[in-house]
Amino acid sequence: MRVLDLDYMLGLIPILLRYLPLTLQMAAAGMAFALVLSCGLAVIRVLKIPGLNAATMLFISFFRGTPLLVQLFLFYYGLPQLLAFLTHINGITATIMGLTLHFSAYMAESIRAAIVGVDRSQTEAALSIGMTNGQLMRRIVLPQATRVAVPTLMNYFIDMIKATSLAFTLGVTELMGATQKEAAGSFLYFEAFITVAVMYWIIVELLAWFQRWLETRLNRAYRR
Amino acid sequence: MSPRIITAAVLSSALAFVNIAQAEDDVLRVGMSGSYFPFTFVEQDTLKGFEVDVMRALGEEMGVEIEFETANFSGLFGMLESGRIDTIANQITITEEREAKYLFTEPYVYDGAQVVVREGNEEIEGVEDLKGKRVAVNLGSNYEQLLRELPYADDIDIRTYDSNIEQDTALGRVDAFVMDRVSASQVIKEKPLPLQLAGEPFSSIRNALPFRDTEADRALRDRVDEALATLRDDGTLASISERWFGTDITRP
Repeated sequence: MRVLDLDYMLGLIPILLRYLPLTLQMAAAGMAFALVLSCGLAVIRVLKIPGLNAATMLFISFFRGTPLLVQLFLFYYGLPQLLAFLTHINGITATIMGLTLHFSAYMAESIRAAIVGVDRSQTEAALSIGMTNGQLMRRIVLPQATRVAVPTLMNYFIDMIKATSLAFTLGVTELMGATQKEAAGSFLYFEAFITVAVMYWIIVELLAWFQRWLETRLNRAYRR
Repeated sequence: MSPRIITAAVLSSALAFVNIAQAEDDVLRVGMSGSYFPFTFVEQDTLKGFEVDVMRALGEEMGVEIEFETANFSGLFGMLESGRIDTIANQITITEEREAKYLFTEPYVYDGAQVVVREGNEEIEGVEDLKGKRVAVNLGSNYEQLLRELPYADDIDIRTYDSNIEQDTALGRVDAFVMDRVSASQVIKEKPLPLQLAGEPFSSIRNALPFRDTEADRALRDRVDEALATLRDDGTLASISERWFGTDITRP
């Protein structure tokens, strides 16, 4: 066994940190868009809006049923062969698009489950005092559903941060891409990949703290 | 910060990425893997290598700015195809299939295909010993094609990789890998992997810059060819090669 090159690892950290913002920005943008899209999809599924409901089910089925890497290749390399203007989409945008569509399919289902999980008596009580459907959703159902959905949504966000590591296949040098290139220059694979693994791990741990804080806050009303 | 401000910040930073990539006259967009030592690799966050130096010299000669795009090797032709880059500087070997689809410049590297094994492996002494062996090649590279054309190709367990074939051979997960002779010798000389060359190069290869087969790209290819010829004649290519390899690989 050879000795670990600690100097190399220490030198790698500041270099890799330069690529961390891009990784986090892609994940944050993907999550922001996915939250909007998945809420829309979930509401369509809950209200069973004719026509849209079937389309939503097809959407969820496709984006949950195919690997993210396949979807990314399809958007970035495949579609521009059919529609030339799609060439203008760069790798970062294609990654954000892929993350948004892929994860919103999963998130829509867990948001739907959270909405359906709010006790029926809540709805009946709200309707009995004359709330409209919109008021019912906004004031009664969604706030309660949020509390239930947050842990799983945070889980998807964590997964999304790690999924950004696929972006190098689309020519985006993010955290993982930078590591791969540095490893190929030094051939110190273990040092390079353990360094980046620990970096991802720390980010996810920080998020897990935030999640615990958020859950405590959302549970305040239920504390006895 | 209110949630609304955070949302606005996230959305605007996302939209900032939607900038439109445009092919401009004074910019040559060059794709490379950034992970093919010593042709294109990264050290301390700086892109280096033979290809990088050649392209910079070419840019200077043509009076255009060179823009490097790095991606996994298997993605490079997709980027060329979809118009995101103008050419690939990654030791692209001229093959029949590629010539049918792309326009090539004159070759600027002459090299050979080389079998490389783990240090101490005396069982494999050349391409004829690969029968029944596990052999690694890069996905989409011409070396895969070369192996498949051997009369005993069916007896070779060919494994395609996106990267790190040197490492997997050193670890013993495959018995050998096939790559170009020049970079194989360089890896063995300069990097800490226990590898050795197995026999002589078995096929000569010519590497050049591919372009899309369109009218505009044909004109661009011709301009590049002209500049390459100048660099060859004034000794620039030879001196870049000497610097990286200690020998001139840019002539047959």
